[in-house]
Amino acid sequence: MKRYLIVAMLLASMTAFAAGGREQKNTNEVTNITWWHSNSGILGEATADLVDTFNNTVGKEKHIHVDAVYQGKASDVLTKAKAIWQGNDLEDLPDLVQFDAQAVLDIRDNKALVPMEQLAKGNGYDLSQIVSSARLSQTYKGQMIGMPFNASTILLYYNKSAFDEVGITEAPKTLDELAEDSKRLLKRDSSGNVTRYGYAGVPTTYELCAWLGQQDGLSLIVDQNNGHDGIPTKVLFDQNGTMVNFLTKWQALHDTGALDNATSGVTGEFASGKTAMMAQSTSALTTMMEMTKGKFELGVANLPMVDEKATGGVNIGGGALYALDNKSGHQDAAFTFVAFAVSMEQQLAWHIATGYFPVNEGTYQMEEFKKHCEEHPLFSVAIDQMRESNPLLQGIWVPSSYEIYYAFQKGIVDMLDSAASPEETTKKLAKTINGYFENYRNTQD
Amino acid sequence: MKGTRLRKIAPYLYVLPALGLAVLFCYAPFFATILDSVSHVRASGERIRFVGLENFQNLFASDSFHDSLRNTITFTLWFVPCNVLATFLSALLVHGKGKALRASRSALMATIAIAMGSIVLILKTLFDENTGLYNRILCTSVRWFSSPRAAMGMLVYTGIYLDFGFDFLLFSASLDNIPRDLYEVAALEGADPWQRLWYLEFPLTEPTMVFVVLNNLKDAFLICSPVMILTEGGPFRSTQTIVYQMYLEGFKGGNIAMGSALATVAFSMSLVLFLAGMALQHRRVFYQ
Amino acid sequence: MKRLRDVASVLLAVIILFPLAYALSASFFARGDFTTLPARFLPSTFTPSNYVRAFASSNLARYLYNSLVTAIMGTGLRMVVCLAAAYSLTTFEYRGREAIFLILVASMLLPGDALLLANYLEVRRMGLVNTYLGLVVTGIFSPTAVFLLRQYFLTVSPEYREAAYLEGCSDLRFMMTMLAPMSKSVLLAIAVQSFTGYFNAYLWPLLVTSRDSMRTVQVGLTMLGFSETYDLGPQFAAIVFLTAPMLLLVLAMRRRIFEGISTRFSGR
Repeated sequence: MKRYLIVAMLLASMTAFAAGGREQKNTNEVTNITWWHSNSGILGEATADLVDTFNNTVGKEKHIHVDAVYQGKASDVLTKAKAIWQGNDLEDLPDLVQFDAQAVLDIRDNKALVPMEQLAKGNGYDLSQIVSSARLSQTYKGQMIGMPFNASTILLYYNKSAFDEVGITEAPKTLDELAEDSKRLLKRDSSGNVTRYGYAGVPTTYELCAWLGQQDGLSLIVDQNNGHDGIPTKVLFDQNGTMVNFLTKWQALHDTGALDNATSGVTGEFASGKTAMMAQSTSALTTMMEMTKGKFELGVANLPMVDEKATGGVNIGGGALYALDNKSGHQDAAFTFVAFAVSMEQQLAWHIATGYFPVNEGTYQMEEFKKHCEEHPLFSVAIDQMRESNPLLQGIWVPSSYEIYYAFQKGIVDMLDSAASPEETTKKLAKTINGYFENYRNTQD
Repeated sequence: MKGTRLRKIAPYLYVLPALGLAVLFCYAPFFATILDSVSHVRASGERIRFVGLENFQNLFASDSFHDSLRNTITFTLWFVPCNVLATFLSALLVHGKGKALRASRSALMATIAIAMGSIVLILKTLFDENTGLYNRILCTSVRWFSSPRAAMGMLVYTGIYLDFGFDFLLFSASLDNIPRDLYEVAALEGADPWQRLWYLEFPLTEPTMVFVVLNNLKDAFLICSPVMILTEGGPFRSTQTIVYQMYLEGFKGGNIAMGSALATVAFSMSLVLFLAGMALQHRRVFYQ
Repeated sequence: MKRLRDVASVLLAVIILFPLAYALSASFFARGDFTTLPARFLPSTFTPSNYVRAFASSNLARYLYNSLVTAIMGTGLRMVVCLAAAYSLTTFEYRGREAIFLILVASMLLPGDALLLANYLEVRRMGLVNTYLGLVVTGIFSPTAVFLLRQYFLTVSPEYREAAYLEGCSDLRFMMTMLAPMSKSVLLAIAVQSFTGYFNAYLWPLLVTSRDSMRTVQVGLTMLGFSETYDLGPQFAAIVFLTAPMLLLVLAMRRRIFEGISTRFSGR
């Protein structure tokens, strides 16, 4: 209803201006910017706040109005956008769209994309204020194609009360320690049923990017520089030994009996105390704090390293804003909003509301930010982990990311269930994923 | 006479819209699907080249397809008998007079008013492993979303719930249509409820039974939307079905050739099903 | 025995209706109520805030409008097209009639779900994405409807038509003023099935709409849930808002629906 009112008011004001005289039109006409996003719940509210703030300040001044449209999950946003540019009705595209990494392959060579770096240059915007690892996470062929916006990393969440209960004073630093702690945290009832697991979750692409990529300081998962220089032709994790190393550690964790191979509802499981640890995005922090409030003390720590030599840290995930050419000629107005959204003040507000970390270097120097970190030590853990990581450690850009996500999980669980060796599993995973790469090439020329 | 000319073409004019739509949205896409399944196709829908059976070879060799095929068959084998039994027995249970039975009957048929999306979303919350009510009521801690077998069970239950209202209605109507005098004859001859079921209710609802079974088989082979909302094929692809994989590869992955190959598999399965149904009906006629 | 049966039937009804009752209750849940342990059935406080949020955060009314337009338009077109086809196939003798009938009915063998991909590409090529026509066009022709209507028309004595001709009644008028009212119950069954089919469609509308303003209820609903954060209140509010009128309608029309279903099968 509210939206209708706004639209009605806009229409009314526009017709009023139109009637007022032609010469005034250029300066007073409102430019409407549509932004498709996938931010729901708390994120959705923060998004609405951001847009409202813009529309009432800078937007009002410059006659730009942003309309944020929730299009479902990140993958739904991509499916929608894809349908449009494949159908060539580019006018239906939004001016701005928020995608996560799985969309990169579809967007980076797309004729509808207006590379963000190009817009930044055209508008005299200094990109060096953007955190470098975040900038690199959007760099393709030397150009930043999208503006990092909701940047996150993966983090270890743990139940501090449970840790205290069994006398663990420090969060695990390596997968060996994770296995050891999990074993101690495992709890069964009198009939032998598990009432608390040590760790819950089946590694997905997101965790694996860190756990494979961090090994030996920095390792590649697929060729073409993890797909950042072109479409990958084959995986590398089978040749550089990273996958076998990781799977061996994971098998050991499983052998403790304290690993729960849960694929969904892990946050609910953690919040209800049925698992003592999980790996989750930093962006879940606000939600987790709310969900565990009054139940137990929440702790977060760096994602455990595969082994002592795996010093690369974690990569940046999350999403970015992309400008699209929908023939409206509104790209510069859209960039005005993007610049506002990643300004140091707005990134601070966004960080406080959501837990995504600020992509603007300026935010880190702000007094309010430092104060917020002191008051909320959990947030600073996430930020320190990101700042300590190797900026060259980047996520993979692969086709059929959805199928690959499932292939990883399925391969790992099959290994745990069937007692197949890490070597065999690695070989099988490589074959499956290389097959997806080949299928993708078949659709290209 | 002006009228005769019109008379001659009139029949064609009446049937033309239906024929046109059938050609445009059934036959043309059918042949396009077959053609796409033996080609390399760009995401824009443009065919690149003919590749013979390569797509099928790749498909049949992939684990993902094996999972889809196995899951679709498992789902069908559980869903169809369970659903037929549940709806038939329910119809039988509330077939009769009395306030309680009539009220239950209205309640059971009312489920046709709830949309698929709503039902699946509600059940999804109720089945939640940790915070859902079903586990609490049953005093269990079943891993509905994390255990492959439990997830399949949940999907079968959801499937039954979705088809329940309509199939229940069919069976109820069919039981109502049994002439009253036949019941009277049965009562006169002193038939007990089991005999009545076996000699009266079963044979006379058989056409409905055949229809429901065939319809259920079709629904089961082609199940997709509930999977999309409920499990997204997880955990570990244990609920990924053929049509859902078609959606994944064809729409999400933009691989139209692979999607078409999967659609072709679905066509073949429904053809086999149809022929089996024909044979079944044929045999029945023969014995009669 | 009778008592046992009553109890069993009520128990069955409770099991079946339980999700509905839960949806109603959950539509009043506070955000935290979805994650409390043990799981709760009743909300901690009664507030209508989920309903407010459901309407504020989405174009729910617009989605409903789109769904209704789609269902009414699709059903109307389907009735007209299939009625005309069945009429042509039963009342006239002409060359190719049997072949046409076969072509129409054989399309039953091509399930719509498997045609989805190709149909989508075709509808996209026609530029019908984000239009009402695009939403309904692939479902207008229904082989089952043609088949059922034809079966029914075959039972109508040809004398009616001859009498109508002698009175100078045209084909079109005969079809609309005589045949259609006579086959009211079959038409009603087809209409109910078609309407619910269109109204409940999920996958097709998901594919052919990308504008928020063209979204249907089923698609919009699944986008209301904030499942990652267990913030499900607005979603349940929307479910209740959409289900209640349909439920009342079905209950009010239950006798009619029953009759429609009965006739549908007495012909077989």
